[in-house]
Amino acid sequence: MKNNQRNNRPSLFQRKYFIMLIVSIMIGFIIGISYNLTKDNKKLSSRSPIYLQQQETYREELITQQERNKELADELNHLQQTIRKYEKELTSNAEQHEDLVAEAERLRLLLGDIAGQGQGIRLTLADGEYDPNSTNPNDYIVHESHIFKVLTELKIAGAEAITINGQRLKTNSYISCNGPVITIDGKQSPAPFVIEAIGEPDTLVSSLEIPGGVFDQLLNERINVTFEKSNLISMPSNTAES
Amino acid sequence: MWLPLLGLILGIALGLLTDIQIPAVYENYLSIAVLAALDTMFGGIRAKLQEVYDDKVFISGFFFNIALAAGLAFLGVHIGVDLYLAAIFAFGVRLFQNIAVIRRILLTKLDERKTKKQEK
Repeated sequence: MKNNQRNNRPSLFQRKYFIMLIVSIMIGFIIGISYNLTKDNKKLSSRSPIYLQQQETYREELITQQERNKELADELNHLQQTIRKYEKELTSNAEQHEDLVAEAERLRLLLGDIAGQGQGIRLTLADGEYDPNSTNPNDYIVHESHIFKVLTELKIAGAEAITINGQRLKTNSYISCNGPVITIDGKQSPAPFVIEAIGEPDTLVSSLEIPGGVFDQLLNERINVTFEKSNLISMPSNTAES
Repeated sequence: MWLPLLGLILGIALGLLTDIQIPAVYENYLSIAVLAALDTMFGGIRAKLQEVYDDKVFISGFFFNIALAAGLAFLGVHIGVDLYLAAIFAFGVRLFQNIAVIRRILLTKLDERKTKKQEK
């Protein structure tokens, strides 16, 4: 028994110490690892001052960025409101512009700046036939006053453009009488006078034909008046002519 | 006698040198493992001094304690109760008790030596 024990003893001894060695190595290993880990964690830990500092700076940055965002958003809103205002103005302006363009077109036609064509009438005022009884030839020739009457009536009736013997009348045209001829803007025109007017033909004619109106007056003064309605009367622009 | 100390130093050196990263979820397990290891170590020393040391008890105690503690922690994580605290508490109490016993034994041994010297 004792012998047996003695034989076994060295191996038991070695095994025992081997196991002890392994266990102590494991204990040491675990302790070492946990020490390492804690050391690493301290660096990354939220309690380390570097981390706190970084956090602080990042937070400040974030706050400034958010403030900037807010400012920009406000600006954006403001600008969008302005744009909306502009757009509203623009739509109303567009309508106004259309009106203005039409108005300008009409005014140009009246001024005679542009050539125009359309429905209208053509009047011919000719001197009355020679009357041997009359001593004064002024009794039967066309005077500027007759033309004025016609023009006034035509304009009142809504004529948009008027020519006399092919010469376009402007708003500031002048007409004067020089015996048998009349002078329009410095150009002389002989009788018979052909007056062309663009406008609604029926309206123009009916306004001229009013009883006691222009036609009657002209006939009273022994002037030959003829007129015809025309579907297409074209007029030159006064700028082209002058 | 010097072999376990050598092993301990070697193990610590290995642990310090290896750069193993353990996920944060398992740090509880590691703390328990450390405590279990320390407990086993001091338990072994105490047993040796009290002359009741047994290899099988020592080895099985080491592994079984670690396994039990890890199992408790695992259970605790999964049922939402910090059960690993129980393991830490138990190990901590035992650690202090073991160290106290070791201290007393060492003190009595020191006294015995002194009396022996005086007798000589």
